[in-house]
Amino acid sequence: MLTCLKLMDKLNCKLLCWLGLITFNSLAQDNHSAEPFKIHGFVAQGVIDVDGSNFVNNDGDISLELTEIGLNTSYKFADDFRFAAQAVYLNGGNRYNEGLRVDYFLMDWNAYSSEKWQANLFVGRIKNTHWLHSSTRDIPFARPSIVLPQGAYFDGFRDIAVGGDGAALKLTYNNDEYGEFDFNFSRGKSPINSDDAEVILSQLAQGEIEHDLDSQASVYWRPVFSQWKFGLTLLDSEFNYEGETLDFFVDGRFVFQFYTMNAMYEGEEWEFTTELLQTRFLTEGFYAPQFHQDNLGQGGSFQARYKVDQKLTLISRYDLFYADKDDKKGQELEKRNYGTIPSYFGYQHDAMLGFSYDFSDNFRVNAEYHWVEGAARLNPIVLPNPLVNNQERWKLWAVQLMYWF
Amino acid sequence: MVLVMLFGSPVTHAVDVITNISADTASITTTQLRRIYSMRQVKWANGVPITIFVLSSTNTTHQKFCKETLRLFPYQLDRIWNKLTFSGMGVAPTIVSSEKELIKAVKSTTGAIGYIENIDEVSDVNLLKIDG
Repeated sequence: MLTCLKLMDKLNCKLLCWLGLITFNSLAQDNHSAEPFKIHGFVAQGVIDVDGSNFVNNDGDISLELTEIGLNTSYKFADDFRFAAQAVYLNGGNRYNEGLRVDYFLMDWNAYSSEKWQANLFVGRIKNTHWLHSSTRDIPFARPSIVLPQGAYFDGFRDIAVGGDGAALKLTYNNDEYGEFDFNFSRGKSPINSDDAEVILSQLAQGEIEHDLDSQASVYWRPVFSQWKFGLTLLDSEFNYEGETLDFFVDGRFVFQFYTMNAMYEGEEWEFTTELLQTRFLTEGFYAPQFHQDNLGQGGSFQARYKVDQKLTLISRYDLFYADKDDKKGQELEKRNYGTIPSYFGYQHDAMLGFSYDFSDNFRVNAEYHWVEGAARLNPIVLPNPLVNNQERWKLWAVQLMYWF
Repeated sequence: MVLVMLFGSPVTHAVDVITNISADTASITTTQLRRIYSMRQVKWANGVPITIFVLSSTNTTHQKFCKETLRLFPYQLDRIWNKLTFSGMGVAPTIVSSEKELIKAVKSTTGAIGYIENIDEVSDVNLLKIDG
């Protein structure tokens, strides 16, 4: 009965999202004017099948848990002030919690504007715009593939990494000799609920995880008239776990630092993208009061896209991730856990091939196949589940149809 | 009434940049146009906010404007605009369905900018000279 009610809830939620989209889509069709009120949205439904891991589900069946629906609005109520908000409904199976989220809800103040400089201050719930794909990670038509490189865009961290409540400053500088520069700073706190604790930590975690204020910064540079763009990003965040009286875990503290550098080449037919990362993951307590672990992970992805014509784009990518750069084969991890966690939880490498085909300006299909080795980016990440993820090599394919306006 | 005759052969038109008369400018550089279309400059020198009108990214005039005038590919602009729209960090240009509609929108919107290729005569707008 309870399962039935939960299913009804899910269906109602999905149905409401669809109805909302249909209504707002018709409104948006009349929105081709310079009115201060704008509405945009998207809907995407896919099929995904994973063989050999719990990336999407535990039973390995072909799944429809690849739904993304979003609706946003922007209202400019004065020359320099604007309000913007977006709600999304996501269902990705085990990848993140299924449900409705307020993605961003912010006030934008264009504090300074000249031909060369622009300064904008954003206050409220703000999306992470620092990494190459962080702000479009669940915007199906604006990201390069259905599943992003999990080294940098680990789905288990989606709700923490996608943004938070706080403030952000964006400075853009244009120089006719040296090119375009973007400087971004943000401070915020991600809303995390008890379901997130289960996804990230373990289903055994009974307590609450809380995110302290994090700091993020990024710099991007595009030389004058260049096809290249380069970026550097920094993230420093801290989480505290407060255990329950009857809990498998004790109070704990996690520090997560994340540094990336990226380069992108945008040619007429070819596009190349690389994003290299280093991550520090410090754990104090949680497993036991005196527990202390400080890992430096490393990784990177290399992606090529080729536009065959205006409609068809081919994509290929290789993504590497090592949870501990000093234990790339995971042997120490296995030893430290007395063999209970296999060495392949120390890394995850993913080779991907795919394509996208545009039926029209706003209707597309994406399809891709992944060959994955390792399980370092499978939920739950803090207390891995080798009973379900009992294979070093696993595969997935996915096809997703998307429409946007 | 400002009447502008656009020169060029009927077969190979160049893409011309037009603005609302409030923009109060007669010429523009390619780098400045790139700044405007990539939403890095949001006001004219006289402080008037810029409103951008574009044709759809599959329209041949839009593609010609991107590649020949801005020296950008249409997908690069789509990427910038989508990122702004779906992250809440900005507003994308307004898409209109034809050049006639674009001219009408530019004429009637303070601070507006747009481009045309296949129309030989327009009035009540500034036709900008592109200086390098």
